[in-house]
Amino acid sequence: MVNYTVGQLAYLKIFFHAAKHPHLQVNGVLLGKKVSGTVEIVDAVPLLHHWTSLSPMMEIGLDLAGKHAESLELQLVGYYQASERLDDTALAPVGEKVASKVKEGFADAVAFVIDGEKIGSDDAALIPFIAQLPSSSWRPYAEPGSAAPFTSGSLFSLSSPDIPARAVALVRDQQLQRKFGDFDDHLENVTIDWLRNRAAMPSDIQQ
Amino acid sequence: MSASFGSALHSLANYRAHNTRASQEVLEKGKLLLNSNAASKLGDDAWAFLEQLALAAIDVAKYDVADECIRQLAAKFPESPRVDVLTGIRMEATQPPETVLKFYEELLEADSSNAAIYKRQISVLIRTGKIEQAVLKLSEYLDTFYSDVEGWVELAELYSSCNQYTFATQALSHALLLAPQNPFYVLQFAETAYSADDIPLAVKMFMLAIDTVDRHTSDESIPTGVSIRAWYGVKLCCRVLSERSCSSASETPLPKNLNLLDELATERVLTAYSAGGTDNATGRELVFSWMGPSDRSGSRLHFVH
Repeated sequence: MVNYTVGQLAYLKIFFHAAKHPHLQVNGVLLGKKVSGTVEIVDAVPLLHHWTSLSPMMEIGLDLAGKHAESLELQLVGYYQASERLDDTALAPVGEKVASKVKEGFADAVAFVIDGEKIGSDDAALIPFIAQLPSSSWRPYAEPGSAAPFTSGSLFSLSSPDIPARAVALVRDQQLQRKFGDFDDHLENVTIDWLRNRAAMPSDIQQ
Repeated sequence: MSASFGSALHSLANYRAHNTRASQEVLEKGKLLLNSNAASKLGDDAWAFLEQLALAAIDVAKYDVADECIRQLAAKFPESPRVDVLTGIRMEATQPPETVLKFYEELLEADSSNAAIYKRQISVLIRTGKIEQAVLKLSEYLDTFYSDVEGWVELAELYSSCNQYTFATQALSHALLLAPQNPFYVLQFAETAYSADDIPLAVKMFMLAIDTVDRHTSDESIPTGVSIRAWYGVKLCCRVLSERSCSSASETPLPKNLNLLDELATERVLTAYSAGGTDNATGRELVFSWMGPSDRSGSRLHFVH
């Protein structure tokens, strides 16, 4: 198995997207690259919050996000989703399809579902899903050594352990999620920078 | 009655009139009135106020206040369906869903004409993930309350969330019959038809959405909101139609002059970007290259098998 690390930019974007629409399902894709056995997830592109079960805008958004990744010399390496209900941590049928689509271009693709129970805590609020061969259905990843994801000994780690606490603080104290926009927002107002979201990122993060 | 009561009453009436969900403010102002027992001096307004305060209190988890409001209302209006709804909402806040569902079911058995109870019951089913039951209940509800447009849209969304796109378009067609002027329903219909792989129907409905919005604007204006999204949809449909042969379950004929339509869609989307500011230059370039002839990386998602 490969290892996965989630960087600050990617985590903040996933977190802000979920925080902006707490009562809706939201989704997006993960950007990164594979470096000697480790998939580095460095960025994310938020797609939909509106009609998350319908495909046309998802297809266009995926196309554009893929082109954007190429321009950064990255690849689409995964998918993320936050559910409408706090206790719902299942990957939606649409999520399986999009994640499988990403997997066609990147064999080690991963899907994250936001863990509603952990989203306000200092722990990584991400539940990793991996495609099970040969049926290609997506299941929550169970570590062989039974270590929980994002704890020591897990294949999944954050680039720095203080990222979740920082994300919570940025939402609580600065409400940065309000400046965050996804592809649905962009389709209503094309000046919204859904690919980078520079306006919503703290000033010390360069992109 | 003192001046602060007067102003509190005024703001509360204002919130009611505008359906403002300012729960914290309602609670603060309302508690003042409740504690001083001013409600008894309010006349008939008192009951609307108590209902408002109860809902606000549930919103911010001040259940003791809510219970007191409901107690007074129930004493005044025994067996009122409106108080039943309020009691149900209060139960939803702290009781297990099974208990609340049973409460609603018994109310519906006694009186199946209470639309609000139906809606509460359906919302609890959705919230607890019982989508199949929610679909059944909602269909049953719409048999009686056919003209509830939002009910049909909700049914469509439930079907879509389970990949039942053809059923979803059927539900949306009722919403369109009831509210033909609403461009959002037309747009949702188009995107649902696309997801159901009925591309000819999708392109027809995307164009209808544009027509519904643009009826009052000139042809040369810059597309915004619904029309940008719909033009993107037209562009995508044209591309799919040029790549493969598409059947239509609804037997919708293909638009004539597909190439011209494709060109128009490209021009319309790019116009929207040309009007934007310069700070989004990279994003715009990306869209320009996506719009270009057939360099699509083939990310067609097969939502329907």
